[in-house]
Amino acid sequence: MDGKKIRIGGGQGFWGDSNDAAIHMIKKGNLNYMACDYLAELTLSIMQRQKNRNPEAGYARDFIDLVRIIGKEGYEKGIKIISNAGGMNITGAVKAIEQTAMDQGLSGYKIGYVVGDDMKDRIPALKAQGLDFKNIDHDGDFSEIEDKILNANVYFGHEPIVACLEQGADIVVTGRAADSALFLAPLKHEFGWAADDYDNLARGIMAGHLLECGGQGAGGNFDYDWRAVPRMDELGFPIAELTEQEMFITKAEDCGGLISEQSCKEQFLYEVHDPANYITPDVNVDISHATLTQSGDNRVKVGNIKGKTRPDNLKLSIGYHAGYKVETYLSFAWPDAYEKAQYAADILMKKMKRKGLKAEEIRIDYLGLNALHLGVASMDPELVKNMNEVVLRIAVRTLEKSEAMKLVPEISPLQLNGPPGASFFGGRAKVQEVIGLWPTFIPRSVVELKSNILEVK
Amino acid sequence: MAQVYLNQLAHGRSGDKGDTSNICVYARDPKDYEFLKRILTVERVKSHFGDMVQGEITRYEVDSLHGFNFVMKHALGGGATHSLRLDSLGKSMGSAFMRMKIDTEE
Repeated sequence: MDGKKIRIGGGQGFWGDSNDAAIHMIKKGNLNYMACDYLAELTLSIMQRQKNRNPEAGYARDFIDLVRIIGKEGYEKGIKIISNAGGMNITGAVKAIEQTAMDQGLSGYKIGYVVGDDMKDRIPALKAQGLDFKNIDHDGDFSEIEDKILNANVYFGHEPIVACLEQGADIVVTGRAADSALFLAPLKHEFGWAADDYDNLARGIMAGHLLECGGQGAGGNFDYDWRAVPRMDELGFPIAELTEQEMFITKAEDCGGLISEQSCKEQFLYEVHDPANYITPDVNVDISHATLTQSGDNRVKVGNIKGKTRPDNLKLSIGYHAGYKVETYLSFAWPDAYEKAQYAADILMKKMKRKGLKAEEIRIDYLGLNALHLGVASMDPELVKNMNEVVLRIAVRTLEKSEAMKLVPEISPLQLNGPPGASFFGGRAKVQEVIGLWPTFIPRSVVELKSNILEVK
Repeated sequence: MAQVYLNQLAHGRSGDKGDTSNICVYARDPKDYEFLKRILTVERVKSHFGDMVQGEITRYEVDSLHGFNFVMKHALGGGATHSLRLDSLGKSMGSAFMRMKIDTEE
C-alpha cells in the first residue's frame, strides 16, 4: 500500500481576496501544493477591458504580489503553486512572475503556463463550421450579441496543468481553468490516477470544491454559528489532505477559522446544482450520498464521493457589452425616514420622466429596510415607521451612457430641494459598463490547449 | 402553536451561477430533517420568495448530509453586473430563505 499523503492548500477564493492566509499556509501549513483561484464568472470580462486599455494588464496583479512574498520560501520548501491568475493575459503574467523570480535570485525556477482557453478570435470560424453557441440559460439569439463580444473563454480541466507539473513546473499559471481543476491536477499528478478512475477524480474535484473559495471553506461566511469561529481576523484557509484511501479537510496550525462538519457542509453544495450530477470538465461528480464526519480538532473526513464519465462538451463563457448602469444613494433620518425616502424617489422619477429617461430597468431600494431581502423583508409598520435612518438607492440600466448620466446630477440637490434631513454621500456616482454573460457549450474536440515551461535564468 | 424562523432549525449558504441562485439548507439537528423535508416544498419556497425568484425552483435532497439544495432560476435580477440589485451575487439569498416562518407543530 502506498503511504503517500499530499497536502494542498486553497490560497485565494477570488480576485481581491486577502493574502494573509496564503502567506501563513506557506509558513505553517506543511503543504505540498497551494492553489489560488482568482476567476469568478465575470472576472475575465473585467480583465479583458483592462487589457483593452493597457496591453500589459489583464491578469491578476495581486498574484504577482503574493508570489513576491511567498515565492522564494515556497520554492525552497518544494511547495508548488498553481493558479488561474493569468486571466486574459498569460504572457504578461508569466513575464511578471519571471521578473519577480529573477529579482529574488531563483534561477532554475520553472514557470509552467497553459494557453488556448481564449476562444474569442476563433468564434467566427467555429460558427462557420456550424457551432451555434446556443445559450445554456435562455433562448436568446446569438446574432444579437455577436458584434459586442468582450471575451470568450473555455473552462478547461486538469490535463494541461498536469502536463506542466510533469515537466517539473514549480509554479503553474493558467487562464480559465475550472476552479477545481487547479486542485485535481496536482493530486492526479501525485497519485497517478487513471483517466477512468472516476471515483478518485471526483474525490480530487471535491477537495478542490471545498478549497476553491478560500476562507469560505474554513468558517468564513458561516451561517451555522458565525460567532463560534475563532479569530476571524486571522482566518486560516482550508487544506485538503489526501491519501490513496482517505480525504480530510483541515487547516494550518496557529491561525483562526473553523473546520467542522457544518462549515464543510455549507461549502459542500455551494454553487452545485444537482448533487448527483455535478458536472465539471474532468468528471461528472456524484455527492448525493457523500459523508462529512468530524474526525479531530479542525479536521473533517470526507467520504463516499462517486464519479462518472466526463462530458463531451466544455462550457464556454462569453462576456459581451450590454449597456450601462449607474447607482445613486441619498440617506434620510428619523422621523418618517422611509416615507421621506419614498417621496424623494417619487420626485426623481418625475424628473426622469420629464428628462425622457430611456431605461432598460429601474430599481428603487431602501437600504436598512429591503435592499437585500427585497420582497421577503419584514415591512412591520412599527419597524418601518421608527427607522433611525434609511438610504434611498436608485439604480438604472440603460443602453446609452448619456441616458444613465441623466440620473447622476439630480441626487445631491435633493438635500436642499426635497424632504427634510437628507444627506448625500459617496460623491457623484460613476456610470459603469454592464457586461452580459452568455454561457454556452462547445465540443471538447475544438479546444486546443498548450502547456509550456519557462525556466528562469 | 409555536412559530419560529427557519434559521432556528436550519442553516445554509447561497451562491450564484449567472442568473441562477443555489441555496443549500441543512437541518441544524438531524432529528429535524424529516420534518424539514415535509415543510420545505418547492411550492412553499416559491411562495416565500414571491417576485424575488422569477423562474423555476428545483429541490434536491442529500439525506447523508441532512440537507437540501434549492436551485432557483431567474433569481438574481439578470446575474452579476447585469443585475441592478445591491446584492447582485445573491449572498443574502440564504438569509432571506432562513426568515421563512415555520409552525413547529405543522
